[in-house]
Amino acid sequence: MIGRWLFGRAPAVAHARRAAWLQGLRVVAPALVALAAWGLVTGVAMVKSGLTQWQALGMSALMFAGSAQLASLPLIAAGAPVWVVLLTTAVVNLRFVIFTAGLHPYFRHLPVGRRMLLGYVTGDVSFALAVSRWSTEPLPAQGSRERTWFYLGICSGTWLTWQASSVAGIFLGGGIPAGWGLDFVAILALLALVLPMIAGAPTIAGALVAGVVAVLAAGVPLKLGLVVAVLAGIGVAMAADVLLDRLQAKR
Amino acid sequence: MNAVEIWVTIVMMTAVTVATRTVMLVFGDRIPLPERVQHALRFAPACALTALIAPELLTEGGAWAISLANAKLVAGAIAIAVMLATRSMVATMGLGMAAYLALRHFG
Repeated sequence: MIGRWLFGRAPAVAHARRAAWLQGLRVVAPALVALAAWGLVTGVAMVKSGLTQWQALGMSALMFAGSAQLASLPLIAAGAPVWVVLLTTAVVNLRFVIFTAGLHPYFRHLPVGRRMLLGYVTGDVSFALAVSRWSTEPLPAQGSRERTWFYLGICSGTWLTWQASSVAGIFLGGGIPAGWGLDFVAILALLALVLPMIAGAPTIAGALVAGVVAVLAAGVPLKLGLVVAVLAGIGVAMAADVLLDRLQAKR
Repeated sequence: MNAVEIWVTIVMMTAVTVATRTVMLVFGDRIPLPERVQHALRFAPACALTALIAPELLTEGGAWAISLANAKLVAGAIAIAVMLATRSMVATMGLGMAAYLALRHFG
């Protein structure tokens, strides 16, 4: 019953879809342990930073975006204006514009609704696994059923793992006293996420400036210092990028 | 924020998240992404997350707090060292949190 609903009625098509889907699940399986830890931590951090359990469940089910969820928690707790929270969400998620641009050639042939669904379930892990596997082959003129269902297999694994571990974290977190300071785990999770991103001179320069400006402006009300810091960091990173290009062109 | 404001914020954050993940899949054929723009999009998340983390580790009550008495700073430094040495997210979060709890309770 569920198989027919998931993979369709035509036996040959359903068989190919199921095979590709299972292969995606197999490929993602080893990455799910770390993802579960990350989801658990996010669940705990949400309730420890002041969201109710229902709000935390809603945030997890709707957003499916660990980094953006974690980034928003200190801002919501500090009473930052909504536009600052939304701007932060957008900036933290900007990497997905590049990721999904990279996925576009593979899903170009699908109807808009399907493409949006595939984008919605895309995370860091699913993008990295799919593209690292596909990038060794030449770009296809047309996407294939195998690739779509392989990707769905990966994303089913990440989505289910994420939601299950978040729910576990939300209920676990509710039982831990606030005095333990468990909201700090959100910062550690963001730290583990950002360190691998900081590679290459422009990003290092931008991150350094963003960090220093953010500390200097920490006393500014409504977390507006954060906005200034992010803009300064991106500006410096872009300037460093242009400068590096010019230096290389001269050589 | 009251409960309604938090729910509205969550829904709007969801809309922003969905927009960033679907815009290129929907309009990819019509929106060119020059290399310079791609680079900028890559720098932005690292800058935002660093700007968010730095004050949490380096300040207490709005003032610089660079000292061994700052449990968050020490635990954060340990977490950074663990991440650079092991590349393991689980170890980073686990050891960082263990250090933080130990420093708070026995420091």
